[in-house]
Amino acid sequence: MTKSPFYKRLINVDWAGLLLLVILSVILMSVISPAFLSTYNKYVVLRDVAVTLLVGLSQLVVLAIGQMNLSLGTIGGLSVVISGGLMEAWNVPVPLAVLIGLLVGALCGLLNGEIIVRTGINSFIVTIATSSVFLGINYGMTQAVPFYNLTPGFKAFGQARWDFFPYIAVVTIIVTIIMAIFFLRTIPGRQILAVGGNVVASETSGVPVNRTIVMAHIISGVIAAIAGILLMARLGQAQPTIGQNWLVPSFAAPIIGGVALSGGSVSIMGTVLAAFLIAIIQDALVLLNADPYYVQFLLGILILAAVGVDRLTRQRRQFE
Amino acid sequence: MNILSQIGRNWSRFGLLLIIVAFWMFFSLVSNAFLSEFNLFTMLRISSVMVVIGYAQMVALSAGEMNLAVGAIGGLMTMFLGGLMEAAGIPTIPAILICLVVAALVGMANGLLVVGTGINSFVITLATSSVFTGIMYITTKGEAFNLLPADFVAFGKMRLFGLPISPLIVVMLITTILLYFLYRNTALGREILAVGANRGAARMSGVNSSRVLIIVHTLSGFLAGLAAVMMTAMLASAVPATGTDWMLPSFVAPALGGTLTSGGNVAVIGTMLGGLLVGSLNSGILMLDISNFWLQFFMGVILLLTIGLDRLRAIHAERAIVQ
Repeated sequence: MTKSPFYKRLINVDWAGLLLLVILSVILMSVISPAFLSTYNKYVVLRDVAVTLLVGLSQLVVLAIGQMNLSLGTIGGLSVVISGGLMEAWNVPVPLAVLIGLLVGALCGLLNGEIIVRTGINSFIVTIATSSVFLGINYGMTQAVPFYNLTPGFKAFGQARWDFFPYIAVVTIIVTIIMAIFFLRTIPGRQILAVGGNVVASETSGVPVNRTIVMAHIISGVIAAIAGILLMARLGQAQPTIGQNWLVPSFAAPIIGGVALSGGSVSIMGTVLAAFLIAIIQDALVLLNADPYYVQFLLGILILAAVGVDRLTRQRRQFE
Repeated sequence: MNILSQIGRNWSRFGLLLIIVAFWMFFSLVSNAFLSEFNLFTMLRISSVMVVIGYAQMVALSAGEMNLAVGAIGGLMTMFLGGLMEAAGIPTIPAILICLVVAALVGMANGLLVVGTGINSFVITLATSSVFTGIMYITTKGEAFNLLPADFVAFGKMRLFGLPISPLIVVMLITTILLYFLYRNTALGREILAVGANRGAARMSGVNSSRVLIIVHTLSGFLAGLAAVMMTAMLASAVPATGTDWMLPSFVAPALGGTLTSGGNVAVIGTMLGGLLVGSLNSGILMLDISNFWLQFFMGVILLLTIGLDRLRAIHAERAIVQ
């Protein structure tokens, strides 16, 4: 395992085109709609990015080992109702409630990872099944009724902003930086990429494959829990339905960001830019008074376009 | 090895039947209403829809593909059918036929994208599912069609021969026979399985795998459309949320029945039994008076258990061969 290939892969400027697209859409939107650059609107966009990016990163970690996590949305939802429930029903202090919420995310991820490693069943089927299990527990406990009386300080944090900068985005930035350092500079991060690149090769070179797979799923679960808890803070209530519409964006952010589903490579910067693009599109539809349902439609088209472009550039490279 | 796998497969089907019988006995002991005429009618009706949803995924799985858009196609087609009948005033039978043709075309679009781009079916159908749902909501504004023609509504409520047998069961059984025939007796069926087992080898032995993949996705779309028609008849209205919860049953039914997700193998009768089990659980859990919300939980656990057991059996079979 030499240092340069992974490093090169990570600083590969595949995301240059995406950056251009984001800049263009910002310029376009500010010309079309002056409200786009208003302080409040910038806050709204960043608030969306903060959650979407975490959802994308949660999927990214598992994509890096060449697997999938279809349960990340229901992990987010379960963490939300448990930490929200602790705050409301038992008056548990916020830090402890949040910590337990993150622990729930980690446990769900551990369960996913252990089942995949022990049974050898592919991650797609395992996480489709566990996603149903997590959702069942969530709805069974809450009867789909949200917790409204969260600790005031926690709610205030979710809605607080410094000029246009939402406080919750601080958490996202920290997580993103940690993940970038994790993949770039740490041994476990490299091992995840090695397993994703070639399981057999990494096994023969001494990488603890099973442990690495389980670890990736645990990280994915924790990030999903963080995303859920931030969204809970922002909404000011523990909604059991949180996470149910995360599936498409969770894949959209990394795929548009140029991450391959086959594993072995990640692009944090690409995922960040893709999260911005998704949030800007969502915001643009609101500002232009368009049907909000166009978001779904455009997200699908965007994924298809992203994989199509990726395909084309790769073919061109092969010709050269 | 052949004999062993044969026994193994028959055991899984037989075992599934036993599990269904056991569930029925359990539910009927717990609740008197379970074996009532009305409950049998509704249970068999919802089971028929679940079976066809399972078939829509099964045909994709048999070729080593996935169709994450089964539910989205179902939702789109429900609303399309509702619109044809209620808004456009097209008579029931032509409306159903148009709906099925369009469903097949929508499925074909998936197939063309998969073959044309060479990108795997997971990503393509994930993206198109978002597109289809978007189109459905944009065109209908998310409003249900509740004034469907009387003959269509009557079809959903009809009981054949005065027994608790819905015509939807007949639709499901005919579909089962045709699919069984397709895989058992036709060259196309064998080509699908060959492509599913080993795409490269199939291509080298002269199978046009692109054509097969397009056909498979078309068929999957058609079956999702058929499930949508059945669901609309059952609910007597076209609801936009139709299909949002089809993902799990679409995989559970074939997986329970022994259709592997790796492709190259199919179990039509097994999928039918799998769908029947899903439908039975659906109505049984309602009877148990525990929250319907736990249904999700049980479906997930059952899926994990059956796949786990299947895996164990496969490992045992391998060991037996080695010895």
